[in-house]
Amino acid sequence: MKKDKAAPAPRHALDFLGIALAVVIIGAYFLLPFVIQPEHGPSTVAVLTESKKANELGIFKTGLEVVPLAALGMLLLGVWNVLVPGAARAISLLLALAGLLALVYYINFFRYTPLGPPNEWGEGTLIGSLGIAFWIMLGASAVAVLQALIPRPVPAPRYRVAKLFGNQESVILFGLLLLMIVIGLANPRYLQERNISDNLAGNAYIAVAALGMTMVIVTGNIDISVGSLVGLLAVISGRLVVAGTPAPLAWLAPLVIGGGFGAMIGFLVAYLRIPSIVVTLGMLSIIKGILIIWAQGERVRDMPADYFLSQMRPLGIPMPIIIMVVLTIGVALWMRYSATGRAFYALGGNVEAARLSGLSRRRLVMTVFILNGVFVGVASVMYSTQFNIIQATPPPALELSVITASVVGGVSILGGTGTAVGSTMATLLLNFIRSAMVFINVSPFWLKAVQGLLILVTVLADLLRRRRQRL
Amino acid sequence: MPSAPRNPTVVEKLRRHLISQEGVLFMIMLVSVLFLATRTDKFLTVDNLLQQGRFMTEVGLIAIPMTYIIITGGIDLSVGSILGLTAIVLGWSWQELGFPLELAIVTGIASGTLAGFVNGLFIVRVGVPPLIMTLATLALFRGLAEGISKARSARGYPEWFFELGQGEFLGIPTQLWLLIVAVLVFGIVLARTQLGRALYAIGNNETGARFSGLTVNRYLLLIYTFSGFMSGVAGYIFVSRVSTTRSDMGTGIELDVIAAVVLGGTSIFGGTGSVAGTMIGVVLIQLLKNGLALSGVTSDATIVVIGSVLIFAILVNNFIQTRRGGD
Repeated sequence: MKKDKAAPAPRHALDFLGIALAVVIIGAYFLLPFVIQPEHGPSTVAVLTESKKANELGIFKTGLEVVPLAALGMLLLGVWNVLVPGAARAISLLLALAGLLALVYYINFFRYTPLGPPNEWGEGTLIGSLGIAFWIMLGASAVAVLQALIPRPVPAPRYRVAKLFGNQESVILFGLLLLMIVIGLANPRYLQERNISDNLAGNAYIAVAALGMTMVIVTGNIDISVGSLVGLLAVISGRLVVAGTPAPLAWLAPLVIGGGFGAMIGFLVAYLRIPSIVVTLGMLSIIKGILIIWAQGERVRDMPADYFLSQMRPLGIPMPIIIMVVLTIGVALWMRYSATGRAFYALGGNVEAARLSGLSRRRLVMTVFILNGVFVGVASVMYSTQFNIIQATPPPALELSVITASVVGGVSILGGTGTAVGSTMATLLLNFIRSAMVFINVSPFWLKAVQGLLILVTVLADLLRRRRQRL
Repeated sequence: MPSAPRNPTVVEKLRRHLISQEGVLFMIMLVSVLFLATRTDKFLTVDNLLQQGRFMTEVGLIAIPMTYIIITGGIDLSVGSILGLTAIVLGWSWQELGFPLELAIVTGIASGTLAGFVNGLFIVRVGVPPLIMTLATLALFRGLAEGISKARSARGYPEWFFELGQGEFLGIPTQLWLLIVAVLVFGIVLARTQLGRALYAIGNNETGARFSGLTVNRYLLLIYTFSGFMSGVAGYIFVSRVSTTRSDMGTGIELDVIAAVVLGGTSIFGGTGSVAGTMIGVVLIQLLKNGLALSGVTSDATIVVIGSVLIFAILVNNFIQTRRGGD
């Protein structure tokens, strides 16, 4: 990348207008309810519900009318700026998307409000259950703010859209937003907080396993035994707790045992020099066999109530989401800033160069497989505490989901590139696609085909992007 | 230690063959067979062995193109899905579209070939890494199979259709003949023709091969299409053997195939390998499965043994090759 030391680009006033509008939306969502109807707490939902009940036009008397107007403003501003370069195009696109999303909510609110009295998760007002999707809009707006505030050494030339799509994470983020808008318009229930949080929580364990996989693939290796290992560790954990082990120990055991399996794989790969795909292909069978023989197909049940980690909701947020977010951020930072993290990239990028720089290939490979084992352990605990029964078979084709997530997230299978954030977002995208199919009534028979096609499209988009960058 | 080149004696030649990748594997196989034969007298019988030949044909057929592909440094994970797609297209075009069965068979295999061609096209033209491309089509082709079949299975084929999968020719299961011919032909193609040598060259150094004037893209397109074709043929044999079509046919077969190829001494990094080695791998796995089952080991314990043998065999081979290489 070229970095000319030029004067910072002059700011266009439009940069800030869009952001001001975003702030209005966010502010309205948070603050107005406190002002108008403090008894309902910090959510616009209750306000809207109450207003609706009181008077068909009541909404426009509460001051909330600024929100859809601001959203419309953001949308128009965004579109206009894409056509006529005012603000950076990247910001404009984000603004347009965020504005569109906000509008979608309000349209849906008017379309679907009179559904009946609100129940515990806000079925009465669909917008009432849109909580998490709102956070996504918030995220998009925040990125827009950041993009505008970061000093640009180069006067953002030509305001290239390509710049925004400069990395796989933003491609996936756009895919995710687009999916939500399109499916949300077709069936607003898709954007319900309940659906979104179920989706996030239910697949968080795949994302965690994909984090480990990302690290492994970055070093130029692969692990296809993940699915079997998750199955085995889940049953171990469940049986331990049923046998009377305290829950925290039963959570910890899979991490340790997973790390042990990882060490075994790492030893075979690093010291005995067997390709990782061969080792883990063998381990896949071995672990699956052990699981089936040992578990005898008996599902684990009757776990004590304090065991269900994944069903806990500290601060009202499902535990798996917290674990996923924390680990993703942790791994992302660690991979980026720690010496070992950088060494992984170096090893995957060029083994010989890494060796000449004094990095120990053996130790790094051992480390990465042990880490992967621990992550698989975490994933298995999240999986085993999800439901009241633990199946005695490995989750079907889990290793493929995990590898696909890592790869779609921008990890080159040849090693050397890839990020934790990308892999987690790809897991989310893939699973949101899956659940979207249900919401727009795709015949379940075609579900897998559409999914495969979309994976292909994502991969192709990534390739085209890279090719364009090379030119 | 470098020494002057001289003609190897017979003993040296023999020794060299014995410690070659295939030689070591063959010995492992002999030992396993002898061991299994002592465990049960039902194992080492002609009937049983021929029966096993019947069961391993599908894996064996797909393992040939897989060997080619892995030699070039690629991989094809979608073979199981192509097998399923072929089976479904075969049954569907016969039962739903009213094709004559012969035409349905051709349509099925053609769709498998087309699937392989699509893989190859994207890998060559767009530059998608093989593992990623076939990972995506693993889901896509299986999805197509599910979509077309809508969970219905096609059965009720006429008698002649089962000839290939269940019949015998000269006392040997019909499909085994097909496998033997395929192994001979494609084994020789790999070892003795320009095409074969080109595959090794691509696997050893793709850029080098390109600069040497090899039409790398054409070769790659060819072998991925070939992989689709062989998976299609395997799909047809599968349907003929089990008398019905289901969309989940061949699920997970890609791992069996890759295990056999790797066990057979083909380096997963490309550049080395042979059809003979692959076939020893296929046979070894099948005999282990069968022999252990007959000795009263449950099929679940069998997969543990096979996994261990895979790792162990590569370990032994690595050890011997390193010693021999003297590095």
